[in-house]
Amino acid sequence: MTQQEKEIRNALNQLSILEPTAAEAPHPAGQMLARVRQEIDRQEEDRLITRFGRFMMNNNRRYATVTLLLVLLFGAAFSFPAVRTAASDFLGMFRVQKFAAISISPEQIAILQRVAEEGLTPGELEIIEEPGELVPVESLAAAQAQTGLTNTRTLPGLGAPAEIWVADGGNGRLTVDLAGARAIVAATGADPLLLPDSLDGAQVDVTVFAGIQQQWADGTMLMQTASPVVEYPDDVDPTVLGEALLQVLGLNEDEAYRLARSIDWTSTVLLPIPQDFASFNEVTVDGVSGLVLNSLSGEGSASFWQKDGVVYLLLGPGMGTEDLVSLAGTLR
Amino acid sequence: MTTLTDNLLLERIGQGDAASFEAAFHQHYDRVYGLLFRLVGNRAEAEDLAQEVFLQLYNHAFRKKLFARNREHNVSAWLYRVATNMGYNAIRGRQRRWQRNTVLVPDPQGSPAAEKEVEQQEMKTAVRTALAQLKPRQVQLLLMRQMAFSYAECAAACDVAPGSVGTLLVRAAKAFREAYEAEGIED
Repeated sequence: MTQQEKEIRNALNQLSILEPTAAEAPHPAGQMLARVRQEIDRQEEDRLITRFGRFMMNNNRRYATVTLLLVLLFGAAFSFPAVRTAASDFLGMFRVQKFAAISISPEQIAILQRVAEEGLTPGELEIIEEPGELVPVESLAAAQAQTGLTNTRTLPGLGAPAEIWVADGGNGRLTVDLAGARAIVAATGADPLLLPDSLDGAQVDVTVFAGIQQQWADGTMLMQTASPVVEYPDDVDPTVLGEALLQVLGLNEDEAYRLARSIDWTSTVLLPIPQDFASFNEVTVDGVSGLVLNSLSGEGSASFWQKDGVVYLLLGPGMGTEDLVSLAGTLR
Repeated sequence: MTTLTDNLLLERIGQGDAASFEAAFHQHYDRVYGLLFRLVGNRAEAEDLAQEVFLQLYNHAFRKKLFARNREHNVSAWLYRVATNMGYNAIRGRQRRWQRNTVLVPDPQGSPAAEKEVEQQEMKTAVRTALAQLKPRQVQLLLMRQMAFSYAECAAACDVAPGSVGTLLVRAAKAFREAYEAEGIED
């Protein structure tokens, strides 16, 4: 036996101590299969929300996976509101203020999807307070009382909403594992060394607040919530993380370097939009700068904006940009 | 069912074919559990992670139906890769949560009374701590090989050429020995 074979044999012998004993054998496979099936059924039910919501979910499934991954990885880079410099009273506390979008190719999405599916994670995510599920309420007044949102707005031109839901907020903490984060970046073809050593063990705290969702009979949907808060270490350089993010999204090194330095990462949430899902435009909506997405299949449009500390999402089935912006202008 | 190609199996699962999903589950569950148990050392946690692996398979199949119909897939390789990553992340997270650079202690399931059991437990802990220092692919190779997977299966799951498995195994074994010795526990 060669020295190399001996080395392998010794390692495998040592690992044999980890084998499950009879008492540690799994429950019968049939029982576990029933558990898995139950969870699948629950997932399927969750998918059935509204026609447009379903459209968004089905067409956005890859986007959701990718976004989750990226939010985890770049929690800090994703949400750097403008108050950074003004907030010396709240060092390291930031709020979402503005939205921008970048197109992402199907090929890059497939790469990101594979990375997400394979379970690579950029650190340990601890959900401290689980955000609540949507719960129906009787009226806007009830929604307002339940969420504490004092400046609730609606679309009076559409009449009373057919349904109103509220959801509680929540918060979580990502503790970055640099090796895992770099492995993800490398797996997407980007430069892992863009992530600095100082990121290892960094804690990113994310808080989302209670929100209200209104839906009208024609499928129009309005969601509003106080701007989420992200807290991250003061020594994290958002531009460098932004550059890594742009490479992960498929930009080459030069493009990522240039674009990262043209984006105000202290005030911008960057949304990666799949090329084959929607086109997007920056527009003035509700008197502020916002983003409109138009689904390529003609299902409708969606707009994101932030005003007076409240983040809005308006979905308009069958609408184009102009109609959606006009509708947003009627918010009261 | 064993005559189905993995691509066809995934396609059928994606179409909601319960029999195909069950076939994949029964075919791989024990080994997925075995791999996860070796990593986390806790039956309940290994079962939870195994459930998550198969949920991922279901979702993967669903997405594949929608978006990647023509791509070839190796279901077993995919399952063991995902299982390893999940188990690896669990022990890395546990290590970070509890004690950086110190002995990794598995989640408690009751204190072993006998001294021999304590010693055995310490050895398992040291082995898992050493594994947590390795790269995920090295962990995967070592554990799959320990579970008597063939070189071809190891190569497919680790996405490497079959001819390089031997070399990678030697490197992984050496890295494991060094990490284990660094724990300061003698055999």
